[in-house]
Amino acid sequence: MLAKWKLREVIVLSVLAVVFAVVYLLFVQLGNVLFGLFGLIGYDIIFGIWFIVSIIAAYIIRKPGAAFLSETVAATVEVMLGNAVGPQLILSGMIQGLGAEAVFAATKWKNYSTWVLMAAGMGSSVFSFAWGFYVSGFAALSPGYVTAMFFVRLVSGALLAGLLGKYLSEGLARTGALNSFPLGKEHKRNVTV
Amino acid sequence: MSLYDQIKAEQLAFSYEDSNIFTELTFSIEKNQSVLLLGPSGSGKSTLAYCLNKLYPEAVDGELKGSITFEGRNLDDFKPGELNQKIGIVFQDPESQFCMLTVEEEVAFGLENFHVPRAEMEAKIDRALEWVGLQAEKKTTIHTLSGGQKQKLALACVLVLQPEVIILDEPTANLDPLSSSDLVKTIARLKKERPFTLIVIEHKLDDWVELIDRCLVLDSSGTILFDGTLVQCFGEFAPYLQKEGIWLPKVVEAGITAKNAGMYKGERLPLRNHELLSGLEDSVAFLKKENKTISKKEPILEVSDLHARGHLKNINLLIHKGELTALVGANGSGKTTLSKCLAGLLPLMQGEIHFLDVPLSKWKEKDLFQRLGYVFQNPEHQFITDSVYEEIAFGLEHRATALDNLEKIGLEKHANAHPYSLSQGQKRRLSVATMLVHEQELLILDEPTFGQDANTAREIMEILDEKSGAVFMITHDMELVDQYADTVHVLDEGEIIFSGAPESLWDNHEVVNRARLKLPFRKQLQKDLVRRESHVTT
Amino acid sequence: MSLHEVNPSVKAFAVVISILILSVFFDPITPLVTILWVVTVTFIFGRVSFKKWLLLFAPFLFIAIIYVWSTMLFPRLQAGDSVIWEWGFLTLTAEGFQRGVSLGLRVLSFATLSIMFTLTTKPTDFLLSLMQQCKLPPKLAYGIMAGYRFLPLIKEEFQTLQNAHRVRGVARARTIPEKVQQLKRYVIPLLAGAIRKAERTALAMESKGFTGEKNRIFYREITVSRIDWLFFILMISAVILSAFISWKLGYLQYYNREL
Repeated sequence: MLAKWKLREVIVLSVLAVVFAVVYLLFVQLGNVLFGLFGLIGYDIIFGIWFIVSIIAAYIIRKPGAAFLSETVAATVEVMLGNAVGPQLILSGMIQGLGAEAVFAATKWKNYSTWVLMAAGMGSSVFSFAWGFYVSGFAALSPGYVTAMFFVRLVSGALLAGLLGKYLSEGLARTGALNSFPLGKEHKRNVTV
Repeated sequence: MSLYDQIKAEQLAFSYEDSNIFTELTFSIEKNQSVLLLGPSGSGKSTLAYCLNKLYPEAVDGELKGSITFEGRNLDDFKPGELNQKIGIVFQDPESQFCMLTVEEEVAFGLENFHVPRAEMEAKIDRALEWVGLQAEKKTTIHTLSGGQKQKLALACVLVLQPEVIILDEPTANLDPLSSSDLVKTIARLKKERPFTLIVIEHKLDDWVELIDRCLVLDSSGTILFDGTLVQCFGEFAPYLQKEGIWLPKVVEAGITAKNAGMYKGERLPLRNHELLSGLEDSVAFLKKENKTISKKEPILEVSDLHARGHLKNINLLIHKGELTALVGANGSGKTTLSKCLAGLLPLMQGEIHFLDVPLSKWKEKDLFQRLGYVFQNPEHQFITDSVYEEIAFGLEHRATALDNLEKIGLEKHANAHPYSLSQGQKRRLSVATMLVHEQELLILDEPTFGQDANTAREIMEILDEKSGAVFMITHDMELVDQYADTVHVLDEGEIIFSGAPESLWDNHEVVNRARLKLPFRKQLQKDLVRRESHVTT
Repeated sequence: MSLHEVNPSVKAFAVVISILILSVFFDPITPLVTILWVVTVTFIFGRVSFKKWLLLFAPFLFIAIIYVWSTMLFPRLQAGDSVIWEWGFLTLTAEGFQRGVSLGLRVLSFATLSIMFTLTTKPTDFLLSLMQQCKLPPKLAYGIMAGYRFLPLIKEEFQTLQNAHRVRGVARARTIPEKVQQLKRYVIPLLAGAIRKAERTALAMESKGFTGEKNRIFYREITVSRIDWLFFILMISAVILSAFISWKLGYLQYYNREL
């Protein structure tokens, strides 16, 4: 998968993952607060933020694997930083990344419109929920509650990963830092035309 | 031709995103020569260097035309990575050229890339670290090294592969003057011990003069302006280079000034201090500095008995209204920490700071920063909005005046651009301007001219010099201190060891040595003059 | 034997497999026995400081309590469950209570396993091991390493940005749009700086002859020995033994029964 990637792209992907690994760790704190207030569903409200790097990396680099790899690397870096969730987090990261990647793959990595980005965020929601259902034993909860959790997470994925990811990437393109990437070039064309 | 041409470039042209970086470059470099590559910013010096070792055009989506040969072989015939063992490169930014955590692992990285057997690695690493004097840091984490040490490490990483050519891409741009001289000395020593071809891209030229035999000068359109010996280049063509916006060694600059004033009678412009002195008709008159009239004004900020985290102790100082105060000292002496304490950005452990006779702790943050400004070392940190216009207009009551302010700093054409997309110099001007619009009475700046080219540095200093309020700036540049400061404080290991006028600092050898300061060019010349005269009389 | 010397990939593998096995069971005893075992191993063979361990463990205790709480308040009611207490829409059943405790203990068993890994593994060793044992492509591994190196820089930059916002008089974000704006004000400068540095780092790595080629001679070789596999087998056996003890005591339940 990586053979077609330039080293520059791989390193930028890693650095994106590192920055968001830190953001992710910070959001765990916020998640715990919401968790305390609302119970399990509290996490689902902000669950989308944990998929955002997939959306940003794919939107900027636009190569097969960007969504999957960035989320996996972010999880690996979280483990390296000492997130106590430990090595199983890498597995969660891979599964979340696959969810977004599946949506981009369905467009043959050609379409990066707002709707596709939101759908990719929701893809991560679906995959991560299925995984959580097994590992965290959601089966013990009342079906109504579990359904509510699922829909909250779906919306969170669309908004906090899809829309917010798009918003931040475009803000980044304006700084000129992405000039050698597809998104930066697209932005430059739009400005000059 | 003394030996043979090691690198040959013919009809070289490089374009990137529909614009030509350089065109039709034809030149050759002999084995073991030391070449200085000069040119105004944007003339494609770095791009050319990256083309010579095949990093470009692959790493960017650029297009290279023409041909380059290394030892008679066309670059196209080299396998990916193969050439990198023969041509090494040290980059400008010490923070972004490493990928491992510790010193030894980083040096090993290059060896691993070239499949050096593990049994041989250790000895090679030790030898390379010894060459640059970093043996003691073998197990150290790179992050904790100083900027100068990082650049030496970068050099060791190149040397360990025993390359035939070493390219230095502004290796001292982010170093303080003493670390810069130190790095140049190391390179000079290494070159003497085991010869290699050297290609240097540099702005600060003073230290390099002794090492370089040839200059290759590009102009802003990316064609060769001059190709010849160093003596010819600066001795005869210096005034043209100056017009192109190319930095000159200080002694050459002084020579031009003296010549224009009709005080220099030498045939060529001087390259060394003694040449300048012997060419000057009246060196004493040339070196005289107009004394600034000092009339003590009332204090605006008063620090008494300050102690703070890190290692600041017993700090007492006064900043006066209408004065430009400089804070100098070696890296790690606590300059930035002190400046942040003065702006109330860091907590104090002991002591008090009064701003306009009110303790800092009593100020409301909002009111304080209306009257006290702080400019960070990296201009980008100052920016909080999406456009140049918004940066200036932020917090202004009369937003319409923002455009006038933009015109003053020559950025009105970029009003809608993102601040980050500006050039280095423009960013710096904008960051200072954001702190001028509120007409704060005290402006604190952390190395405002750091990494700036000559023109921007001059512009910034002129803006600060004209500013009505008080200015307090950290700097490593003793030329600026000599030229602009009314008062200078010297910080050494967390303590202020000198406060007074610059002139009396230069004469205080003990302080100058202890704080590892480099005398300004004017004072160095005076010293040389005294030495010369005592030599003549005895 | 020291946990610090166990091959990082084998250690990670042992933790992940243990977690996957634990997920199959659905009773309080299996995770409880596992917790006791892992904590013993962590302190005897890992010699970690109790303070550090507790610091990492405490948040999970909190999460475990919320799990118990959520499962008790929103239980999956089944016919035949014995109701202990009823108040309005809340129904507490004996089975619901047990399931809640099982889930809470499951969280804690995952936590003790993970903390054991985190406190006894050096980040770079883990990465080198992933590359040498798990065939992680060097391009990606060194990319992660380069990115990881940026962390202290990013931290410093973050603090500088906080100061800069104070100096510029940026007001505290209160509403949600303001908070999004604030997030952008931090994330974009950090990312823009990091991306440009990343591009320079990539160039510097290529200039040292790095091509991402897979056969590489490593300066620091991370090996797998028999002791590593012994550790792996011990860990997995312990989890299975926990389930066995639970079965003997008559508590063991499979996940399937719940579905």
